[in-house]
Amino acid sequence: MSDIGTGATPPPDVDLDRVWIGVAAQVWRRQPGPAERTAGRLLRSPGLARALLTTPSLLLPWLIASVAVLAVGAVATRGTGEPLVALLAPGVAGAGIAYAYGPGIDPAWELSRSMAVSDRMVLLVRAFAVFAVNAVLGLAASFASGTAAALTFGWLIPMTAVCALALAAATVVRSPNAGVAAGLAGWTITLLSGQAATGQYTVVLSASALVPVYLAVAAVCAAVVAYATRLPKGTT
Amino acid sequence: MNVEIVDLTRRFGRTEAVAGVSLQAGPGVFGLLGPNGAGKTSLLRMLATVIQPSSGTLRLLGRDPGSYGPRREIRRRLGYLPQNLGYYPGFTVAEFVEYFALLKDMPPSRVPAAVATAVERTGLGDKARAKLRTLSGGMLRRAGIAQAIVNEPDLLLLDEPTAGLDPEQRVAFRALLRDLGERATVIVSTHLVEDVGAACTQVALMDAGKVVFYGTPAELTARADGTDAAGDAPLERGYSAVLAAVRS
Repeated sequence: MSDIGTGATPPPDVDLDRVWIGVAAQVWRRQPGPAERTAGRLLRSPGLARALLTTPSLLLPWLIASVAVLAVGAVATRGTGEPLVALLAPGVAGAGIAYAYGPGIDPAWELSRSMAVSDRMVLLVRAFAVFAVNAVLGLAASFASGTAAALTFGWLIPMTAVCALALAAATVVRSPNAGVAAGLAGWTITLLSGQAATGQYTVVLSASALVPVYLAVAAVCAAVVAYATRLPKGTT
Repeated sequence: MNVEIVDLTRRFGRTEAVAGVSLQAGPGVFGLLGPNGAGKTSLLRMLATVIQPSSGTLRLLGRDPGSYGPRREIRRRLGYLPQNLGYYPGFTVAEFVEYFALLKDMPPSRVPAAVATAVERTGLGDKARAKLRTLSGGMLRRAGIAQAIVNEPDLLLLDEPTAGLDPEQRVAFRALLRDLGERATVIVSTHLVEDVGAACTQVALMDAGKVVFYGTPAELTARADGTDAAGDAPLERGYSAVLAAVRS
């Protein structure tokens, strides 16, 4: 006992390597935050929870930027009466989805594709989470801007289509910037088409006849994503 | 056998990267040699279940990786170091290794000790809490090896693992390979014949998508006997002799 702490040779039955590994495991151990612990319980997979918490468009800087854009939209809506939040929200969400997943944003993409937690599951969870967060932020901004109820909820379905388009483009082209560009371009063209046809761009938010079109676009884009993320085989 | 391959091919458009390869490998260190474009990386990517074969039969750890359930089980017991690793600059070494341990479905209670063991085995103990963006190329390669071995894989696939390592690190790494090969199947793709000579029990030499030699390093060395094959070392001369014979 007297030798302990004096730098003398330890007793032969003490495995210092094993002791050190135990110490290192505790010292280097990362404590998951409450969000990661909750996600791990909900998803029943700590790996999936960790992958979710590393989503670029769910990190704090990105969320702050999204809140700032929507807050400006809410203030402008109150000042001008134009429903800017409803117009901005799909674009913001589309950009977030494009930066949620894929070879363009994941430096270790090749390695990720060999993992037991499949990349498709990571995609699904990340896309759902980004969509949900952006929907909540958009709804909060809509309520804060005092927009009419029809417009407050009217952008949710178009947002689904814009997000699906952005994700499909980002996945196929393997570039998040391409996804953002496709989502924003698609939404801008839709707004301008509404303006050209009726003189009011808000028609694309309120026309119930457009709902099936948005849903069809979302379904087709989801199929494209599913195809693009399959395990590649054959001759391609 | 942990790896059973029969007549495996992989095409990329009109290019046949892997052209009818048949191999079997059990526990031990298996070297995959060959010039650039020989098909080594494509073969390793198929073994890593990152891409599927165009044709042929592939069984890993006694399972068919073509189906979801068996593929997931294979991936739990697989370690893979790609040629281009890619890394998250803001992660520390320990976080990087832990991330992939979790994605390999390791039980969370086992992860901290497994991470510490893998980091220590690759000699990165003093860098465990350093951000990856601060590490040298050789250290990043070792971090990649650490994530590959963190789950004590039964099948370990390493694509150019010694790229960027200095001579001292390469010697230590070869010892690690021999140790890992005691219980697992370790397949190492490399340009460096001295790595094969020092660490591998079996070696396959690929050229133009085909396996043109399969045997022990000693048998590969013997192929140079009676030839004027180029090379600075016996194994290198054997390598050159086989390639020259195939191409003549």
